[in-house]
Amino acid sequence: MTQQTWDEVGGLLPHDEFRAASEAIVANIEQVIEGKTATVRLALAVLLAEGHLLIEDVPGVGKTKLAKALARSIDCSVRRIQFTPDLLPSDVTGVSVYNQETHDFEFRPGAVFANLVVGDEINRASPKTQSALLECMEERQVTVDGVTYQLQTPFMVIATQNPIEMEGTYPLPEAQRDRFTARIAMGYPDPAAELAMLDGHGAADPLQDLGAVSDADTVRRLIATVREVHVADAVKQYAVDLVTATREAPDLRLGASPRATLQLLRTARAVAALEGRDYVLPDDLQALAVPVLAHRIIPTADAQLARRTTDAIVSELVHRLALPHDRQRSPYDTRPTGEGNGRAPYEPRRR
Amino acid sequence: MTATRNLGFVAAGATLLSAAPLSAIFERWTWLIQATIAVAVVAGVAALTRLVRAPLWGQALGMLAGLVLALTWIFPSGGELVALVPTPATFAHFGELVGASAQDMRSYRVKVPDTPPLLFISVLGIGGVALVVDVLSVGLRRPALAGLPMLAIYSVPVAVYVDSVPAVPFVVGAAGYLWLLVADNVDRVRRFGRRFTGDGRDVDVWESSPLAAAGRRLAVVGVALAVVLPLAVPGMTGGLLDTLGSGTGNGTGRAGQGGNPGRVDLFAALSGELNQSEVADMVKVTTTESGPFYLRFGVADQLEADGFRVGSPTGQAVTRGLPDPPQEAREGVEQRRYRATVETTKNFAMPLLPVYGEPVRIEELGGNWRYDPALQLVFSNRDDSREKRYSFDYVRSTYSPAALRRATSLPADHPLRLRQTATPPVSQVDTLVAGLVRGERTDYDKVRAIYDYFSSDNGFSYSLTTKGGTSGQDIVDFLNNKAGFCQQYAAAMAWLVRAAGIPARVAFGFTNGTGRTDEGYVLTNRNLHAWTEVYFDGMGWVPFDATPAYGVQGSTRSAWAPDTDAPESVTPEPGAPVTPGENDPSAEAAGPDRPDRETDAGLAVGAGDPTRQAPVWPWWTAGVLVLLGLLAVPALRRAALRRRRGTRVAAVPTATMVDAGTGRDGVERTIVVGVDPDRARADAHAAWDELLDTLVDYRVRVDRTETPRATAERLAADALTEDAAAAAAARLLGRAEERARYARDPLAGEELAPALRSVRGVLAARADRRTRVLATVLPPSVLLRWRTAVSDTSSRVVATTGDARYRLLRWDPRRLLANRAAR
Ligand SMILES: Nc1ncnc2c1ncn2[C@@H]1O[C@H](COP(=O)(O)OP(=O)(O)O)[C@@H](O)[C@H]1O
Ligand SMILES: [Mg+2]
Repeated sequence: MTQQTWDEVGGLLPHDEFRAASEAIVANIEQVIEGKTATVRLALAVLLAEGHLLIEDVPGVGKTKLAKALARSIDCSVRRIQFTPDLLPSDVTGVSVYNQETHDFEFRPGAVFANLVVGDEINRASPKTQSALLECMEERQVTVDGVTYQLQTPFMVIATQNPIEMEGTYPLPEAQRDRFTARIAMGYPDPAAELAMLDGHGAADPLQDLGAVSDADTVRRLIATVREVHVADAVKQYAVDLVTATREAPDLRLGASPRATLQLLRTARAVAALEGRDYVLPDDLQALAVPVLAHRIIPTADAQLARRTTDAIVSELVHRLALPHDRQRSPYDTRPTGEGNGRAPYEPRRR
Repeated sequence: MTATRNLGFVAAGATLLSAAPLSAIFERWTWLIQATIAVAVVAGVAALTRLVRAPLWGQALGMLAGLVLALTWIFPSGGELVALVPTPATFAHFGELVGASAQDMRSYRVKVPDTPPLLFISVLGIGGVALVVDVLSVGLRRPALAGLPMLAIYSVPVAVYVDSVPAVPFVVGAAGYLWLLVADNVDRVRRFGRRFTGDGRDVDVWESSPLAAAGRRLAVVGVALAVVLPLAVPGMTGGLLDTLGSGTGNGTGRAGQGGNPGRVDLFAALSGELNQSEVADMVKVTTTESGPFYLRFGVADQLEADGFRVGSPTGQAVTRGLPDPPQEAREGVEQRRYRATVETTKNFAMPLLPVYGEPVRIEELGGNWRYDPALQLVFSNRDDSREKRYSFDYVRSTYSPAALRRATSLPADHPLRLRQTATPPVSQVDTLVAGLVRGERTDYDKVRAIYDYFSSDNGFSYSLTTKGGTSGQDIVDFLNNKAGFCQQYAAAMAWLVRAAGIPARVAFGFTNGTGRTDEGYVLTNRNLHAWTEVYFDGMGWVPFDATPAYGVQGSTRSAWAPDTDAPESVTPEPGAPVTPGENDPSAEAAGPDRPDRETDAGLAVGAGDPTRQAPVWPWWTAGVLVLLGLLAVPALRRAALRRRRGTRVAAVPTATMVDAGTGRDGVERTIVVGVDPDRARADAHAAWDELLDTLVDYRVRVDRTETPRATAERLAADALTEDAAAAAAARLLGRAEERARYARDPLAGEELAPALRSVRGVLAARADRRTRVLATVLPPSVLLRWRTAVSDTSSRVVATTGDARYRLLRWDPRRLLANRAAR
């Protein structure tokens, strides 16, 4: 088994090669998933940002399909775990079994020992199993019987879950949702896309014919390239402002974590690179705020009663937050300069 | 309960404070002691009655009784029981005091002495006010209404002084009222229970509410404005400055309640009236004389160390007839008899009446009016000169210089000479006089030498802005500065003549003003004047006017005292009073010509009222220009900004090809110089700022939360839909700014200036006319920027002062005490 460690990503890809490779993956996936370009790109961005993806939507909108299509497009090790209530943690991480022949314990790797792990219906597993997976996601290593095994790079978990069906499910604890870089909702395809789907997918499932257009090595180089994307100080400041705003928003009981800030910026780099830029724009952060931040925060009881979703709250924050200006104060900023230099639009809540 | 008692004492204190303006009326402070006793008694009784929970009417009755007791004790009639309990005799005495006070009010002028009737009426008034204030503020809890009785005290000095009243006592009074209001408010808040002291919340322990601070600040600003504005506005200064400086106003001459003629300070009245900004008619006079000398009403003939004083006139009632003037016909002295009618307005209030020359018969005046033949004054101890009308016959004497020269000196022991030449020793004056009169043998020559000394040749000029004192030091100052107005010239000449051993005094009256009109001479406060009278044996008092004629409207000169500043050639014909510099007597008869000439004379020197006579239009033009200039500032600022950014942006070099010339080896080389990234960044920023300013100017929304890309896209989608080129230009500008801000290297090689121009053009075409005009004339972007700057500074200032205040508060003893009490 090739043990590719975390930091050993390959060399950089030139601009056009990067573009070609990424476009190929997107195009490949789009053969299967109709009319979901943005979602597909976002999924790829999460892969390049070295993050994990949570696809959350009602049944039958192509969640599993997207996960599998992405996995197939890249020629790398792929494992699929169908989560069920009786799934054990050792099924996920691996287990030491006694080998009769060698008279020794031998480690049999679990499902996470792959580049892409598709965890379907993750909320159907018991919390114990869920947390086994979530720990691997963060630490990128598995410790069984005192031995630590590194996971491979790229390593990405694509989990799907169904938010509607509550019976027999164990919703992911909020703290653990934080491990997912982004949560995307598939959404219904628009009528034209649905028509196209009927035409293309009526007879056979195109997923069967889907071939790999890239390999793990290329993905590693893509990741290396993404890491080099420039982030200006103003953009970093804006990211911090955004996260701070979630922590201070009166509607929210729990704001985004510093891990969220890191992952926000990483995803923004990936998105910028996918758009052919070598620098991040505040626009990227604005576009990513909802997928990256919304699943980590908890609204207050009042906001929940008012049926304000976290998505709505985050997008409102984005609309109200002024851009930081690295030069002078914007002349159109008519608010008085306070201690926070006009950055905190809310009275800080005292905790 | 304690709170109520406190409030009662605050009410008493406030009443006393509000009585402060009375200090402007009384010469001494006795009234304050007596008023304090009365108010204290009233307050004490009020506290007692409240202690026994008497009803409101009971409290009022108690206070009234206390006030009566206090008055009885202070103003005893002698018939009281145990010196305190009033008897009918006491009340009869009170009645007498009240009656006498009316009398006193008429016969004294401010400041009044401590006469019992006046003190009684003051103490009664203040005590009554204390009673009413107590009932209103403590009994009825309406302290705001208590301001009304306090206002009653205020109105007394205001009624007495028409023009200007000392300001400080009024401030004191107002402070008393505010104190009462604050105390009541604090008390009111206390009644809710624990008072919120707002520790650390910028609220003081002593403030009834957090808003009080704001109110106090407003009040401070208001008071500051009230003080500063009058100082800043010319013409208003006279009153306040003099008031602050000298305690009482300078308007003593105007509307006193009659009084003793000997008490009138004519010098103060004169300078006060001459400095008045408004002109008020005082006297109308018609006479059969063609060019009369000045109309005269006062004399200062007592010289002491602090200057000339007005003596107390004595004499018989005018109804009993006037003494005849000496009728000995001397050579060179011409006496003619004329008749004049005088009408005074309400603005002229003196215990004296103006007359010409030596009056021989006065009609239509009551027995109140008397004539002093020595001072030649018509005076009254009871009446005053307001709105009087009377006629009189008078004798006008004119003298030829030769006749005056013939007059002998008075013998050294003559009582008149003894009295009227007494001069405090001032060495500088004495040496000056000795120098002036050296070699002059007759009295007249000596007087003329002194008189001629006050000429422009010796550097004397007219100025109303000097202080017009007449003490020895003032005279020395005047002789050194050589600038002053009539009273200084008159007093200085009189002093010098006296020093030369010749009797002299200062006379007061009116010049001939703007000249004769259909109604005769109309004389205003501006025409008030002072001059010198010199006594010649056998001739009497002969007038000399040493004040420069150009400074005095309606100035008149005589043959024996010609205008010293006039050209030599115009020596006046002896024997007739002539006008200065104009010795053709017929000119005087041609009435209308004279006033014009006089006005011009005043104008040329600008001593009178320069702003009124100076041509006005340059000021208007200048004002309008300044206004236009101010209005143009934002537009100019915008233009400057645009030019600066424009040159920046236009200078953006596309990767410049520099021809480095032929190298040493003779090979022609072209070097491509990359664009300096900092330059390119700054240029992109400049272009973007200009775009945003343009948006603001044309009232296109600018959103702080939008990225440059989003802004450019919105512009392209909303504002620039018709013009694809402009939309592309906007996108280019957005991209340049975005790259400049966020990318490693900025966008280079793009022409931002044309892009900016095309966007601006489309926006301007889209905007309505009003927006367009405003964008050019008063660009909103500049105004907005300034407003932001101002509000930033002010909030920073507020923050720092708040900080400093908080730090100071830590050392506030009241705060420490409050904390201890809370524990
Ligand atoms: N946007 C889409 N494009 C193409 N096929 C779709 C799309 N959405 C749903 N489908 C189809 O719907 C079916 C259900 O998809 P699946 O991924 O199993 O749903 P779930 O969200 O329950 O995992 C698949 O057969 C897939 O072909
Ligand atoms: Mg599924």
